[in-house]
Amino acid sequence: MHYTFTIERGNFTDAGQASSSVKRTLKQLGVDPVNIKRTVVALFEAEINAVAHAYGGTIDVDIDGEKIVMVVADEGPGIPNLDLAMQEGWSTASPQVREMGYGAGMGLPNIKKNTDDLKIDTQVGVGTTVTMTVYLT
Amino acid sequence: MASGETYFRHSLRVNTDLCQGCTTCMRTCPTGAIRIRNGKAIVSDNKCVDCGECMKVCPHKAIYIAQDDFALLENYQYRVCLVSTTFIGQFEEKYKTRAIYSCLKKLGFTHIFEVEHEVSHMIELYNRYMDAHPEIETFISPYCPAVTRLIQVRFPSLVDNVIHVRAPLELASRVITKRLMDEGISRDSIGVFYVTPCAAKIAAVKYPVSGKETYVSGVINMDFLYNKVLLMLHDSDKSAQPINHALTTRDVLWPLSGGEAPHFKGAHYAVDGLRNVLNFLERLEDENVDAPGLVEMRICDQGCVGGVLCTQNRFVARKRLEYRAKLFDRLERSKLRETSSEDAPLTEDLVDVMTIPEIKPRSILKLNDDFREAFKMAERMKKIENALPGVNCSACGAPSCAALAEDIVRGEATIDTCIFINRHSQASEDAIRSIWGDRVKTKKNT
Repeated sequence: MHYTFTIERGNFTDAGQASSSVKRTLKQLGVDPVNIKRTVVALFEAEINAVAHAYGGTIDVDIDGEKIVMVVADEGPGIPNLDLAMQEGWSTASPQVREMGYGAGMGLPNIKKNTDDLKIDTQVGVGTTVTMTVYLT
Repeated sequence: MASGETYFRHSLRVNTDLCQGCTTCMRTCPTGAIRIRNGKAIVSDNKCVDCGECMKVCPHKAIYIAQDDFALLENYQYRVCLVSTTFIGQFEEKYKTRAIYSCLKKLGFTHIFEVEHEVSHMIELYNRYMDAHPEIETFISPYCPAVTRLIQVRFPSLVDNVIHVRAPLELASRVITKRLMDEGISRDSIGVFYVTPCAAKIAAVKYPVSGKETYVSGVINMDFLYNKVLLMLHDSDKSAQPINHALTTRDVLWPLSGGEAPHFKGAHYAVDGLRNVLNFLERLEDENVDAPGLVEMRICDQGCVGGVLCTQNRFVARKRLEYRAKLFDRLERSKLRETSSEDAPLTEDLVDVMTIPEIKPRSILKLNDDFREAFKMAERMKKIENALPGVNCSACGAPSCAALAEDIVRGEATIDTCIFINRHSQASEDAIRSIWGDRVKTKKNT
């Protein structure tokens, strides 16, 4: 099953719609609540990352009989230093974003913690594609 | 349900003589428990959580709550009216609490006991549970039985966040029964009758999640008793005996939204109203809200004064209770207050009685117990949903196109029931198209 969502830059109000929708499907499939939670947390973090840092993008979710693959692709600015971004507490979030309760530097580390497989392709000035996989069974 | 087993029972009933099949209740139900069949609303036992929203919105008064026969009182020599302060809040401030209670006695009760007598014990029970589970960050109050059931069916991952303690009325009924038994009265001759503001509390007494024995002998609807008392109040005698005001301000306000949360450690969230509760539970489930400690949740706006069996406007009732709470506070400060439960320790056997061993997840969303089968059904459901018009007209007898798609894959409905798809003539197709425009796909495409 395939789902597509669009991400709008700076729109924190709508962030979370993709994870809500995916959550409903996973509940219908009777997926273990622990795996549902991992999926939803990871997807939400990735969504927020794209809303807070990127210039908009798309989310593609594919669910098959054994796993869920979530691809969050944005249109820049890209991550200059991925090693730093993967460190807990490291953040380049703007003061405005921090004021909204985000930008604690836990996004990517949290995604890593909650997924079985994480791939990040990033190029400064072009964009970032985060591919997350969670095995459901 | 996949298992075909019924594990919830309810007191909400549909009067099929009055029901017009208008779909209002069906569209309101938070768990999608209602369908229209043969022109009448039917309620799925396993999906219904007794929130009472259907009854609140029914324009034909076709949904009602079955209560126990008032004549049941005659079976007992001692008849306790177990009442919440919510009931007192129904009456204007000019009526003294003692006058209201005196009317209850004239109606046949020998004793009046307020559920809120046990608030301090409830606080202790909650705190014990929270202290015993340091691994849980957010605890959900078990006060509103409809919230607990909603969590079981729609948020099964949160069942362990609900404090596993039974409702205060269970504790109060046991305490008053024991008190009378200590006076030498046999248990058989004591009848405890709870006055309920809603459907959920009846269901919690009759079909408890805990599966444990209850000391409540019967349940009476609050509106029924309100009408009886109001008629008597007008000519009530001024000589009514003063009553022992054992309640504190805190106790009086307990049934209101915000009555519980401030008395516990935590972020003091008090969430009320069906939509708000649903939204907050979603956030809790996604770990998308920082809510340490106790979160209070009530299905009804303003808490129990918003119950479907409360006759008075919820905001008016709230104000009245706040007024009375101040009076109780004055009594308290002037040391006129009699002994309350705070003076009696919470015994281990009471802790045992009040503990719920397990709150079982009862997901209604799961399509099939077998993952592969569920996956096939979900795929099919998505395809069907895409074929449906998406206008959620409810003419098929389901609350939405998504619900119809689900009913179809579960084998409970057929796609022919969709009036958009099943158009018999060009005239009917044109008529529908004149309302919905291009959403009506041409016949060969559907």
